[in-house]
Amino acid sequence: MKFERLEAFFRRPPVVVVCLLILAIAAFAGVTRLANRFHEQQKALARHLFAAGQAALQSGEMEQAVEDFRAALSYSRDDPEYQLSLARALRDTGRTDEAETYLLSLWEHAPQEADISLALGRLYAREKSVESAIRFYHNAIYGVWESDPDLHRRDAQLELVDFLLKQGATQQAQAELITLATELPRDASLLVRVGQMFARTQDYDHALGEFQRVLRFDRDNAEALAGAGDAEFHLGRYRAAQGHLQAAVRQNPNDSQSKTTLEICTLVLQSDPFARRISNAERNRRIRAAFDRAGERLASCGAEPAGNQPGQGLPASLGVLKAQWEEMKPKLRRLNSPEEADLPDTAMDLVAQIEQEAGSEKQCSSATPLDRALLLVAQDHSGGGR
Amino acid sequence: MSSSSTGPAVEAPASEAVREAEERARSNGRWASWFSLATTFREERFFLMLAVFIGFFSGLAVVCFRLAIDWSRIALLGPAPQPHNWRLLVAPVGAGLLVSILVIHVFPKARGSGVNQTKAALYIYNGYIPFRTAVGKFVTAALAIGSGQSLGPEDPSLQIGASLASALGRRLDLSREKLRLLAPMGAAAGLAAAFNAPISAVLFVIEEVIGRWSAGVLGSVVLSAISSVVVMRWFLGSAALFRIPSVGFVRPAELIAYVVLGLTGGVAAVIFARAIGYFRPRLQKWPRWALYLQPALAGLIIGLIGYFGAPQVMGAGYEYMDQALHDQFTWQMLGILAGLKIISTTLSFVSGTPGGMFAPALFVGAMLGGAVGGVEHIFYPHLSGSTATYALVGMGVLFAAFLRAPMTSVFMVLEVSGNYSIIVPVIVANTFAYLVSRSLQPTPIFDVLTRQDGLDLPSLEEQRDQTVLRVEDAMRPSGPLLDFENSVEQAVRRVEDSPADTFIVRMSPSGWGSITKDALKKLVGEGKGELTLGSTLPVRSLPYLHPDQALEIALRYVNQTPLVPVVHRADLHKLVGVISRDDVLKKYQIVGDGEE
Repeated sequence: MKFERLEAFFRRPPVVVVCLLILAIAAFAGVTRLANRFHEQQKALARHLFAAGQAALQSGEMEQAVEDFRAALSYSRDDPEYQLSLARALRDTGRTDEAETYLLSLWEHAPQEADISLALGRLYAREKSVESAIRFYHNAIYGVWESDPDLHRRDAQLELVDFLLKQGATQQAQAELITLATELPRDASLLVRVGQMFARTQDYDHALGEFQRVLRFDRDNAEALAGAGDAEFHLGRYRAAQGHLQAAVRQNPNDSQSKTTLEICTLVLQSDPFARRISNAERNRRIRAAFDRAGERLASCGAEPAGNQPGQGLPASLGVLKAQWEEMKPKLRRLNSPEEADLPDTAMDLVAQIEQEAGSEKQCSSATPLDRALLLVAQDHSGGGR
Repeated sequence: MSSSSTGPAVEAPASEAVREAEERARSNGRWASWFSLATTFREERFFLMLAVFIGFFSGLAVVCFRLAIDWSRIALLGPAPQPHNWRLLVAPVGAGLLVSILVIHVFPKARGSGVNQTKAALYIYNGYIPFRTAVGKFVTAALAIGSGQSLGPEDPSLQIGASLASALGRRLDLSREKLRLLAPMGAAAGLAAAFNAPISAVLFVIEEVIGRWSAGVLGSVVLSAISSVVVMRWFLGSAALFRIPSVGFVRPAELIAYVVLGLTGGVAAVIFARAIGYFRPRLQKWPRWALYLQPALAGLIIGLIGYFGAPQVMGAGYEYMDQALHDQFTWQMLGILAGLKIISTTLSFVSGTPGGMFAPALFVGAMLGGAVGGVEHIFYPHLSGSTATYALVGMGVLFAAFLRAPMTSVFMVLEVSGNYSIIVPVIVANTFAYLVSRSLQPTPIFDVLTRQDGLDLPSLEEQRDQTVLRVEDAMRPSGPLLDFENSVEQAVRRVEDSPADTFIVRMSPSGWGSITKDALKKLVGEGKGELTLGSTLPVRSLPYLHPDQALEIALRYVNQTPLVPVVHRADLHKLVGVISRDDVLKKYQIVGDGEE
C-alpha cells in the first residue's frame, strides 16, 4: 500500500519533471566529461598530424604533407592554420584548383585575414592571373596580420612588385614601389632591394634616391655603390657613376656587371667630343676616332667583293649609311673650317646611326664597350635614346 | 470540423420545462468544461515539457554515439587511414564478426537501419521500442561504422532517440495514444542531432516514419528536434555538417545541366535501391552459420577497396564529402568513388550490419554530382556552377530519389548549405531524380525493406498515389431550405411536394437545424401551425461540413443526425448541399467497386 502511494507520488507531473531535471543534470555532467576528453583527444591528434605534415613538408614529401594536413583538419576542421597549410601544400604540389577552392572558402569566411589573401595572391601569381593576384595581394597588404604587421605588409608588397615586374607591368610596379618607399625603415638590404626594383622599372631617379639613403649610413655598401653607379650611368651622370662604380668594384672585385658598366662609363668620358674643358684639337681627335670606329663597325657587317659598287653585300639600310660615311670621310679634314661648323654634329649623328643600325643587324660584329660608349655619347648629344 | 456543436439535431419540439433543464445543465457544464480545459492545458504543457526532455536526452545519446563512433574508428582504423594499411583489412573483418555475434545473440532488433523498425514500432507495437534496442543499436552501429563498414550514423540515431522516448513514456505509464506520439518525437530528436538539421529531421520523420501529415504531433516533434540540436551543438559545436564554399546559380539556361544531374542521380538511385532489394532477401536465406560471416565478408571486401586505394568509401565518409565540396577530387575520381560507395554500402547493408543509409546516400550524391558537374564543365566550360554546387545539388538528388523524401531533400540542402540561391537547381534536379526513380522503381526502398520483412506499413508515398475522397464527392443538393422565421404551416406548404423526408432549417443568427416532414405535420396537428420554426427547434445547432473536407470526417457526424448540412466556407449562411450516411457509404461502395 505504502509502495503504491509512493509510486503514485512519483507519477505526478511536477515530481516527474523534477526527477527528469535531476537526471538531465547528471547526464549532462557525464556527457560533458566525455565530450571534454573527446575534444582534447581530437586536438592532440590534430596537432600530432599537423606536426607530421610540417615535417613531411620540410623533407620535401609534399603528397604526404597534404595527406597529413587533411587528416589534421578532419580532427580540427575549423583551425585556420591547418586549413592554410593544406591549401599552401596543395598549391605547392601544383593542385591549384583544389588549393583555390579551399582558399576561397577560407577567404569568404575571413576576408580580413591577410595570410589567406596572401596565399590566394601567390596562387593567382603562380597562375599568372594578374588582376586576381593584384586584388588578393592588396587584400593581404591592407588586411589583418596577427604579428609584425609592418614587416608582413612590406614583404607582401615587395612580392607583388616582383610579380608585376616579371609580368612586365612596370607602371603598376612603379606605383607600388613609390607607396612602399615612403615608409621604409633604415635597413640597408631592404633599401637596396627597393632601389634595385626601382631600377628594374627604369625609374633611376627613385632608385638612386634609395641607394644614396643607404650610402649615407653605410658608405661602403657594395650593392648600394653598384646600384647608385648604375642608376647614375643610366641618368647620364657618367662622372658620378664612374666614382661609385670604381668604389663598388673596389668593394667587390667579382662584380663583373659593375666592371663592364665602369669600362663603358670610362670610355664615354674619354670619347665624348662635346665634353667641356677639352681643346679643339682633342675634340677633333675624338670625332675622328669615333668616325673611324664607326667605319670599322660597318666593315664588320659585310665584306665587299672587289670591283663591286660600295655598299654591295650589306643590308640596304647599312648600305645607305656606308655611302654617307664614305662621302663624309674626306670632309673630316676640314673640321676646323668655319664653313663646316655643323660637321662635328653631323659626323657624330652618323656615328650614332651606324652604331645603332649595326647593333640591330646580326651579320655585324657584336658591340664592343667602345661601340656602346660612342652610341651613348652620340645619343646624349642629340638628346635622343634614353 | 468547423462546428462547435455537440449533439444531433432533435426533430421533436422541446417544451419549456425541457428548455429550462437544458439551461441549467449548460450552466453546470460551463464549470465542468473550465475544469476540463484547465486539466487539458496542464496535460498539454506537461507533454510539451516531455518533448523538451526527450529532445535533451536524445541529443545527449547522439553526442555519445558520435563520440563512440569516432573512438572506435581511431582505435580500429587509426587516426589517418590511408591505403596499404593492414588495419583496413583486419578491422572491418574482426568488428564484422563481433557485430554479427551481438546482433544474432544479444540484440536481434538492432539489425538494419532503424527507420523501418521505428515505423513498425509506431504502427504495430503502439510505439513500443525496447530500451535494449537502443543499447544494441548504439554498440553495434558504433562498432560497425567505426570499423569502416559503409554505413551512416543518422538512421541508428533516429532509432536510439525513438527508443529512449518510448522507454521514458513507458516509465511514466503514459497512455497508448501518447506513447505513439513519443516515438516520432524521439526519432526526430535523434535524427536532428545526428544531422544537425532540425527542419530536415522533422520533415523526414513526417515523410518516412509517421507517414502522414498530422498537425497534432508536429509541435512536439519540432520542440524535441530543436532541443536535441541545441544539446548536440553545445557539445560538438554549431558548425554545419559541411563547410560549404561559395555556391550559386547564375543563368537560368544552366538548369539543363542540373536536369542532367537529376536524371543521372535518379538512375543511380534506382541501381542502388535495386541492388539492396535484390541481394538482401537472398543473403537472409543463407544458412544460419553463414549469417555470422556476412558482416565480416562485407567488411573484407570494403577493406580491400580501402586497402587498394579508396579508403574514402569506408565509414560514413563526411570528411570526404567535405573534400568533394572543396574540389579536392578530379571528376574521374568522384565517379569512381560514387560507384564504389554504392557497392560497399549495398554489401554492408544487405549483410545485416546495423547502420544507416543517410550518409551513404549523401556520399554517393555528392560524388556523383561533382562528377557530372566535372564532365559538364569539359563540354561547357563557361557553366557558372562550381563543383561544390553540383556536389551539393547531387546530395539532394540522391536523397530525393533513393530515400524518396523529396521535401526533406530540398530542406536538407538548404539547411546544410545555408544558401538559398541554389534552391531552384535543387528543386529542378530533385524533381527529375524523383520522377525517374518513381517510374523505374515504383516502390520506395524503405517500403521494399518492410515488405521483405513481411510487414506493410503506411507511407506518404502511398498516400500520394491514393485518391482522397472529399465531402463534395458524396454530397447532394438539398431539398427546400427552410428559414427559422418560417411558420410551421408555411414550412409544410414548402415541403409538401418534395420527395425528401428531412429538411435543413437556417437558424438565426447562425447555425443550422433540421426537421422532418412528419414532425412538421405533427406540430400542425397539435395546433402549433402559427409558431415559427425557430421556436420549435432546439437551440443547439447541427454540425456542418465544408465541401473540401475529407469524406472520412463526414463519417463522424452522419450517425449523429440524418442529414448534415454542407456549407460554403466563405459564407456560413450559404448551404451548398447535404450529406447523409447513405451518401457516404454509397460513395465508398462505388470507389471500392473500382469505378474511379
